[in-house]
Amino acid sequence: MSLISRISARSPWLYRINAGSCNGCDVELATTACIPRYDVERLGCQYCGSPRHADIVLITGVMTARVKDKVLQLFEEIPDPKVTVAVGICPISGGVFRESYAVCGPLDKYIPVDVNVVGCPPRPQAILEGVAKAIEIWKQRL
Amino acid sequence: MKFLKLLMRNLAKGPSTDPFPFGPTFTPKGLRGRISYDASLCTMCRACEQVCAGGAIRIDKTPEGMRLVVWQNTCVLCGLCQYYCPTGAIHHTDNWHMVHLEAEKFDQVEEGLIPYVACTGCGAKMVASYPNPKTLGFQPTQEDVEKLRLLCPSCRRKAIAAMGGKS
Amino acid sequence: MLGHYALLPAVLLFPGGLFALAFGLALKGADRRVAARLQRRVGPPLLQPFFDLVKLSQKRTMVPDIACRPVFLGAPLIGAISMLLAAALVPIAGVYQPDPMLGDLLVLLYLLAVPGVVLMVAGSASGSPFGAIGFSREMMLMLAYEGPLLVVVAAVAMKTGFAEGKMVSFSLSEIVTYQRQHGAFLFDPVMWPALLAFIAFFPANVGIVPFDIPEAETEVLEGPLLEYSGPALGLFKIMSAAKAVVVLSLGIALFFPNGPDGVLGLVVYALKMLVLTLLGVTLVRTSVARMRIDQAFVFFLKWPLLLAVVSLVVVVVFA
Repeated sequence: MSLISRISARSPWLYRINAGSCNGCDVELATTACIPRYDVERLGCQYCGSPRHADIVLITGVMTARVKDKVLQLFEEIPDPKVTVAVGICPISGGVFRESYAVCGPLDKYIPVDVNVVGCPPRPQAILEGVAKAIEIWKQRL
Repeated sequence: MKFLKLLMRNLAKGPSTDPFPFGPTFTPKGLRGRISYDASLCTMCRACEQVCAGGAIRIDKTPEGMRLVVWQNTCVLCGLCQYYCPTGAIHHTDNWHMVHLEAEKFDQVEEGLIPYVACTGCGAKMVASYPNPKTLGFQPTQEDVEKLRLLCPSCRRKAIAAMGGKS
Repeated sequence: MLGHYALLPAVLLFPGGLFALAFGLALKGADRRVAARLQRRVGPPLLQPFFDLVKLSQKRTMVPDIACRPVFLGAPLIGAISMLLAAALVPIAGVYQPDPMLGDLLVLLYLLAVPGVVLMVAGSASGSPFGAIGFSREMMLMLAYEGPLLVVVAAVAMKTGFAEGKMVSFSLSEIVTYQRQHGAFLFDPVMWPALLAFIAFFPANVGIVPFDIPEAETEVLEGPLLEYSGPALGLFKIMSAAKAVVVLSLGIALFFPNGPDGVLGLVVYALKMLVLTLLGVTLVRTSVARMRIDQAFVFFLKWPLLLAVVSLVVVVVFA
């Protein structure tokens, strides 16, 4: 891995997509960035407001039928190389909403997911662990 | 100007950041984490399967016995199975390090098998379970309990009637 | 014979070009780290903006279909070049005198208006509705803060000009030399309204809270910058870093350029920039909230403009 790749890997920018989540995991994602207790800026990360600026995509929520097309369209807008992290159990398996008529199924039917962070909602430390693992994978892809 | 005083105090106090992932972090007592299942304590009452909120617990009949499978990725950490399990066979540990790669998604299971035993009365395959002393109608001794444990339901009914209680 | 080519090191290396870029990024890193400490967080490493820039160069630039491609890609380039060039126009007291061929205060004022215009043009060229909102807000903000800036600069130029015997002196080198001989304007009560107006205008130009309305992340999803990615976004980051250096240097040259010569002068200059960043950017950013665009517009047209006009009148009266 060249020097440029090693330097670039120290600045992964995070982007959150809510694919029909109950917002529990979104609240936990807000705490890992905003509050001083679980600062995500230490790893060089920063939450960005535009999908065009993103490197690591954090997706929460089971893919509901209403939001499916928009999430897929948004995912296309994020430039490569990117790493997808499924936060919470909803995108992994559907969680409690599995057999609902409004749910389109686990996320990896539509989007290639790389890291799964388990929990309902996951602890902020677990999310940081997931982000750290995603940075490792992203380093390989740069 | 109060916020200026606050900012200077913050600067003096230093960061209050939890050192994870560069250092150790705390785990609260009683944190509901990864599920752990001990088949030796299980009586196959199937209460956990019924109350599981995420549908994570699945019980199958296999030729060797009854198998209980928990998929960690659907467990919502509600703790109901732990609450309703009469023997404590299924319970939450406080392990919250459950981050895994996508390829290991279906490896996150806890399994346990309760093997069939043959009924000492008629030889049918069954899962041995302890009888409820309250419903026997008489006060059982330890060997009565052991004898009833290894009988299938129909043989057990006959044995209880023979011991002088209601079934 | 060497003639114009002697300007190249000034424009490309020091203090324009590479020096402005590196120093701007270093100041930004220090600002982010100290802001985190003020909030009791650990904060990113000091070299984080450099890492960000290197990372941005590795991603690919995506251009939307409905965007006007030459403008979309050309705007950040023009912005970055203008700011890297403008840094060569500001004197560093005792260390660097800009060549009169490069330009004087008027050219610098024109160049300082370019990043705002570039942001506006980029916002409208990207074709997204958020870009359009960012475009209109940036336009309102520029209208608001350019006024006090021009009047403050006129006040300082006139003060120096009267002392030199002519009406007004737009040469930054003359302003710096006059202050080094007769005492800095920072300590001259006649110039204090101008100083206050400049302090009020400064966050708006550099693009920080409370006046970073057009680029606000949470309000307009970063407005004009929404559709940019990769090296084009990197150029915008270069533009904002160099702009911070230019505006801070301008502030120091207009009000407090006094200091030793030579290498020690460079160290003092760097320290002044650092202190000004920490007081004027970090402390302000962490203590106040973002203003609405109408509040900001009205604010600038009230107090800073009033203070600037008062200072102009005072300078003329106490000639």
